[in-house]
Amino acid sequence: MGAMAERYSILRRPLISGDKNFDQVTREICAPLENKSSAAWWMTFAAALAMLAAGMIAVGYQLKTGIGTWGLNNTVGWAFDITNFVFWIGIGHAGTLISAILFLFNQKWRTSVNRSAEAMTLFAVMCAGLFPIIHMGRPWLAFWVIPYPNMRGPLWVNFRSPLVWDMFAIGTYFTVSLVFWYVGLIPDLATIRDRATSRIKRALTGFFSFGWDGSNITWLRYETIYLLLAGLATPLVVSVHTIVSWDFATSVIPGWHTTILPPYFVAGAVFSGFAMVLTLMLIVRKVLHFEDYITLHHIGAMSKIIIATGGMVALAYATEFFVALYSGNDYERFTFVNRALGPYAWAYWIMVGCNVAVPQFLWSKKVRSNVTMVFILSLLINVGMWFERFVIITISLTRDYLPASWADYSPTTIEIATLVGSFGLFFALFLLFARFLPMIAIGEVKGVLGYGKQPEGGRR
Amino acid sequence: MPFPTPVPTIAARDPAPAPQRGFDRRSFLKAAGFTFAGTVLAGCEKGAVEKAIPFLVKPEEVTPGTATWYASTCGGCSAGCGILIKNRDGRPIKIEGNPAHPLSKGGLCATGQAMVLSLYDSRRLREPRISGQTAAWDAVDRTIAAKLAETRDGAKGVRILTGSGAGATTLAAIRSFSAAFPDTRHVVYEPLSIAALADAHEQCYGRRIVPHYRFDRASVIVSFDADFLGTWISPVEFTSDYRAGRSPEGPSRAMSHHVQIESRMSLTGSNADARIVVRPDSMVGLLGGLAYYVAKETGAGPAVFASPAAPSPRTASGSPDAEDAMNLLPLLARRLAAAGRKGLVVCGVNGIACQALAASINDMLGNAGVTVELERPTSSRTDNDRETQDLLAELDAGTIGMLVVHGVNPVYDHPRGGVFSAAMKKAGLTVVFAQHEDETAEHADIILPKGHPLEEWDDAEPVAGVVSVRQPAIAPFGNSRSLAECLLAWTGERTGAREAIRRAWKSAVFPRQNAEADFETFWNASVHEGYAVVDPVPSGHHSFDASVVPQLPAGDRKNPGAGADSSSGEGFMIEMYPTVALLDGRHAHNPWLQELPDPVTKVVWDNYASVSPRTGKRLAVEEGDVIRIETGVHILELPAVIQPGQHDDVISVALGYGRKGTDRFTSVGPEWFEAVPTVEPGETVGRNMAPMREIRGNYVSSYRGGVSVTRTGRVRTIASTQIHHSLHVPEHLAPKNAERRPIVQETSLAAYTESPGAGRFETHKVVSMWPDEHRFTKHRWFMSIDLTACTGCSACVVGCQAENNIPVVGKDEVYRNRELTWLRIDRYYTEEEDGVSVAHQPMLCQHCEHAPCETVCPVLATVHSEEGLNQQVYNRCVGTRYCSNNCPYKVRRFNWFDYSRGDDMGRLVLNPDVVVRERGIMEKCSFCVQRIQEGKIRAKQEGRTVKDGEISPACEQSCPAQAIVFGDLNDPASRISASRKHPRFYRVLEEIGVEPSVGYLTLVRNLPEGDGRNG
Amino acid sequence: MGLNNRILSIFLGSGLLLCLTIFLTSYANNVRLPGNHEGYEPVQPISYSHRLHAGELQIPCLHCHSDAGRSRNAGIPTVETCMNCHRFVTAPIVDVKAEDQRAEKSGEKPRRIISAELKKLYDAAGMNPELRPDPGKTPQPVAWVKVHRLPDFAYFNHGAHVSAGVECQACHGAIETMERVRQVSDLSMGWCVNCHRGSNAQGVNGRAVAAPTDCTGCHF
Repeated sequence: MGAMAERYSILRRPLISGDKNFDQVTREICAPLENKSSAAWWMTFAAALAMLAAGMIAVGYQLKTGIGTWGLNNTVGWAFDITNFVFWIGIGHAGTLISAILFLFNQKWRTSVNRSAEAMTLFAVMCAGLFPIIHMGRPWLAFWVIPYPNMRGPLWVNFRSPLVWDMFAIGTYFTVSLVFWYVGLIPDLATIRDRATSRIKRALTGFFSFGWDGSNITWLRYETIYLLLAGLATPLVVSVHTIVSWDFATSVIPGWHTTILPPYFVAGAVFSGFAMVLTLMLIVRKVLHFEDYITLHHIGAMSKIIIATGGMVALAYATEFFVALYSGNDYERFTFVNRALGPYAWAYWIMVGCNVAVPQFLWSKKVRSNVTMVFILSLLINVGMWFERFVIITISLTRDYLPASWADYSPTTIEIATLVGSFGLFFALFLLFARFLPMIAIGEVKGVLGYGKQPEGGRR
Repeated sequence: MPFPTPVPTIAARDPAPAPQRGFDRRSFLKAAGFTFAGTVLAGCEKGAVEKAIPFLVKPEEVTPGTATWYASTCGGCSAGCGILIKNRDGRPIKIEGNPAHPLSKGGLCATGQAMVLSLYDSRRLREPRISGQTAAWDAVDRTIAAKLAETRDGAKGVRILTGSGAGATTLAAIRSFSAAFPDTRHVVYEPLSIAALADAHEQCYGRRIVPHYRFDRASVIVSFDADFLGTWISPVEFTSDYRAGRSPEGPSRAMSHHVQIESRMSLTGSNADARIVVRPDSMVGLLGGLAYYVAKETGAGPAVFASPAAPSPRTASGSPDAEDAMNLLPLLARRLAAAGRKGLVVCGVNGIACQALAASINDMLGNAGVTVELERPTSSRTDNDRETQDLLAELDAGTIGMLVVHGVNPVYDHPRGGVFSAAMKKAGLTVVFAQHEDETAEHADIILPKGHPLEEWDDAEPVAGVVSVRQPAIAPFGNSRSLAECLLAWTGERTGAREAIRRAWKSAVFPRQNAEADFETFWNASVHEGYAVVDPVPSGHHSFDASVVPQLPAGDRKNPGAGADSSSGEGFMIEMYPTVALLDGRHAHNPWLQELPDPVTKVVWDNYASVSPRTGKRLAVEEGDVIRIETGVHILELPAVIQPGQHDDVISVALGYGRKGTDRFTSVGPEWFEAVPTVEPGETVGRNMAPMREIRGNYVSSYRGGVSVTRTGRVRTIASTQIHHSLHVPEHLAPKNAERRPIVQETSLAAYTESPGAGRFETHKVVSMWPDEHRFTKHRWFMSIDLTACTGCSACVVGCQAENNIPVVGKDEVYRNRELTWLRIDRYYTEEEDGVSVAHQPMLCQHCEHAPCETVCPVLATVHSEEGLNQQVYNRCVGTRYCSNNCPYKVRRFNWFDYSRGDDMGRLVLNPDVVVRERGIMEKCSFCVQRIQEGKIRAKQEGRTVKDGEISPACEQSCPAQAIVFGDLNDPASRISASRKHPRFYRVLEEIGVEPSVGYLTLVRNLPEGDGRNG
Repeated sequence: MGLNNRILSIFLGSGLLLCLTIFLTSYANNVRLPGNHEGYEPVQPISYSHRLHAGELQIPCLHCHSDAGRSRNAGIPTVETCMNCHRFVTAPIVDVKAEDQRAEKSGEKPRRIISAELKKLYDAAGMNPELRPDPGKTPQPVAWVKVHRLPDFAYFNHGAHVSAGVECQACHGAIETMERVRQVSDLSMGWCVNCHRGSNAQGVNGRAVAAPTDCTGCHF
């Protein structure tokens, strides 16, 4: 083939297509921050704000009037609230996984997506964190969940309660993710600083980039700390969702009280997380013209992870169902039969459809390389994973031990608006991020420009 | 006898919440919690100034902060149970049964306990009114005196219409009144009439009495549509007796066998060992048949009963049920005959033929003086339908100069109420004593405020020889006067109610006893005890007059075919019944009772048409579908409820709904944009069924035939506290070889006699991971509930509500399954090929030793006490609801909104010893910890240990069947320790290892071989 | 970056730290948590002096607060109770003496002296200066200002404590020295619980007691 062809390695395909030089990379990635924001951005941002507003009105009304404005009842004490909480926490998982674990495994392709994946994590965890607070009957006393010295004798928190564990787990997770993300951002902030035209921008970025001077010693320290943080973050990927799953696993309610939940939840979290990363990346790629940075190769790689984790989730579904039937425990059996055939069967089958059937399409390379298809599939998986939490949390509650206390559940306008609101918050934050910070780690991408090119040809 | 002073203004922890106190500390805290800044500011905040205002002169029997008790007589219905009224700071806050009372024996029904709330009904009439204008009493007296004179001169009549249960004082007053005004008659009208029972005895025994039935002495009970555990004559007494006669323990195992013959699932039927389900109009035929067989068995009876060859009435469903029933009669007769004097037949049908036949069967069994006391009749019941009819005629004829109506509401609850209201106009003057401006009062010329039973002096003689005093526990809110007081005043004699009653007792009651020589001592003792046992007025000799039987209307003693009278035939029958809560509707203004789940259907805030499952299928009607019921005279539309055990041809609807003024409950329940009002403005709670009742042979009959039923296609929300009614999971969801859930464990008497463990569900050995997590060194509170004794009457539910300041939440909230009652009664049906059996199971916080709720609460708001209580600390709760989710029994209750506890007056009923919970807080049964603390403190102050039975939660205290036992497990001599070791003892969901502190005794049914629950 | 630069930052940093510690400690010392009304000393409608009655005159607390032994509420004496003594004692003894001397000098009958504060009491009782019922006045109970206030959700029973032998002063402080009653303890949960724990350990005046430390000892 042409002159170009021989310069490519036969073993590896380059991560960044369309032969870029450093300057080009910088320009292209910084473009969104420096040009006027597009009409598309404004429209989506407006939409996001509208959703957020709806959510805030709903929450405000609920705080003023009472939890009664949700569809809950004596039997079903948790439904949309905790479903949304677990859903968002799950979304938050991909970020750390990509940045930490893939980094330790030296997966170069992560460089194009890790920045936004981490950002997504932060925003998702913010959304998640809201729900445990607003789901309280007296949220103005939420601070009682934190242990602090007091005049009550003193009276501490209940360290046996999974909700307290949650508080710690999520707190840690958020802090570490934030630091990790920020540290990774420093070199790029410096880049922006250097390109900044306005004084304020320069001052701000200057302050936040800690006087980064790009010297070798700085880079060395930077990479050391980054490696350390990656190591620190890795266990969190597993711990957070494990602990969240204990909210249910440590209870006595059939359908909650299951030892399989922790691995099941972690797998599910990564599964849903990657689905969300894909969803966002595909949009970003299109809107900000990052086709060269987020290539079909990246999409393919993430799709494969989805197939793998999807498989785990499917296995978990099968296992818990089998164990229930095998257990010989009537309550347990009924709970699962009821999930599949009971009044809420539709939710169960949406879950199975979206989380077990849908990923199977990704086996085909054709589908994986069809952006639209992947986008649709990823959306469906997000839906499916929301319903997984709904099935586990709500359906188990509606039909528990005493038939006399069985009850049904249906959401109110307020609950739906609150869910919408959380998406509003998520997208609003993400759009602001896309507008004001580099979506792709410039420094790291530059590091992998030569990847997949023959040394002599590759050097520039 | 000292009068308690009116409500004193002790500010000290008055539980009535004052949200409009703007900036009080708690609302400040709420705000403060949000921001750190807020918290800092809060440091400087002093809070609103509170005043503490003592008495000016303290009445010596009132000690602020401690309770005073007054013995009195319940006014909830004419049964006249003995009550104790708990006063705090001068206001009654709770009514409890009087344990010393010879009839009610310490129990009290739901209605009785709810009476304390109606005392604080702000809509009660306060002042007399003459033609709508508020007037003073002397004005009233003058008008009436004038009218009376005129009446006497005009040779017109005076009629006094009261409910039954009038005591010696009232009767004496009426006597002296009629002395002054010759043409005066006292007509006794009872909406839930048993007049036919009295008349039948007049025919058979020559004396118009209602016998006193002794269920405790019966070994075989056959009840023809008599709901004696629910609403018939004296439910509390009967429940306690019934239970006494049904103990599967003891050498004799003297457990009575109870057969209920009825067309709907009544509370009594739900407790019967066997039910025979027939159309109401087959009753007389069946009684005839039974009489025939009993006569044959005993040989005692007159051989005048025709042999029943049963051509059963053609029925809408074509099921020849009466025939099946007929085939069971010989067996029943044999049982009754075997029981002999211990056999008992009661009949709730208000028809002379039925009652005469029942009386004659009892006579053949020779149970007079054993299970049927004729010498000590139920003197409270003197209902007389015939005289009520006559009165109506007289009014219509315009021969009545003055009509006095006291405490009854015929315009609403008489079948011909419309006619009555028109006829009232024709009387010279109508004077109505009423608590509200009700259907009758609004047509009156003069409305006089009727005092609440807790406000006035009165007396009663429920059963001959048991006279009881009703004393006021608080000064009247309104400007009311008792009937006796008024009648005397109108004869120109001014005496206070107390004087009147004392005088009546001195002359009529005091002489009937010889225990006390001095009247004062007798009187004081009686007032202190609340009752006195004296000699019954000798009612002469009772001998059954066999000759009356042939005189029975020809149709009646023949077989069911003929028994089915004119009104039967094609189509459905509709049957009207009183509910345990509202009775005939006299309690319709009481929100506690409106929200009390019906013991059988568990529906609240509405009446509805009960339809049998088969009929439901046939008409394609499901719960909530509105059906149109047409009788030819009336058309009305009601939501349907599918009722197992209901006769296929019979639609049952509750009386007592559709009362004027019940639209006041529009405001009940929280306000938010998706809320549905409990009752639409301008409408009433439910529909009035009284006009649908027929007057058959001078008696108000509870059923009507020739009814057609169609579905309208519309749907109306039915708020029920239960959506699944069986211990089996739905068939299509039942996993392979799934068992009936062992939550209610039951067996038959025979099996239980065989092996004490019969019916028990053997759980696998539960090994505790925390063998001694708790050591209970001081007390170990424990409760057990005997499912064999529990009838599901729901007295405990209201008792708990009154004791623990539990608000009503309204229909919509109940529909959303957010009822707030700490104690609920689960009701399970078991469909069997030969019928349906019912189990009632009171379900409350089980105070688990290894409580799942305790481990999950993040803020330690629910923790275990060193006495075995599962404590819920309201002020620590942040409302995550995690505890409730993790509760296997789902007995925790959440404050979804700030539920109103009624208006300022309604809040006077609140118990100052129990916190009023705010929104967002979890609450639940506390074993009435306030009573436990009170008892312990009392014991400490008296330097002794707590006595067994001294501390008793509201539910245990109120139970007429003594089904609930509460006590200290660390006291080996206590009743609870015995119950814990009982062979029938089990704990619900024992197998999941939560170690509940509430246990149940298995449900034992007395099912001799060859028995059927048909229908 | 240069050395002096670094020194500067260290200097500034430590300065900031110092300020913070000073601020925080000073704040921590006079921090007052919401609901703590320690030191509350409201003005009462009648300036009744516990120092005089309980201190000088040695009247036992339960003489007036007679319910404290048997009820939840200690009970605030009724006007009737006050009148038991003040039907005769109408003014401070000094004033009465002064009047007597004045009367002796001028040789006339001493007038009844009524102190300003007691006049309020007689007004409340609806009495005229001759201590006769005054038809013009309607008897009105005195609206005292509550000093020791517990939140609704805390149940306190005076009877239990008094009969357990707890001194009134244990909670109310040296009331017999107070002209105007002042809340001396913070009445916080910790304060209650610690006393209960202590009493269970050491007993109350030598007597062993069982003071509840369960939540439901006070919260229900």
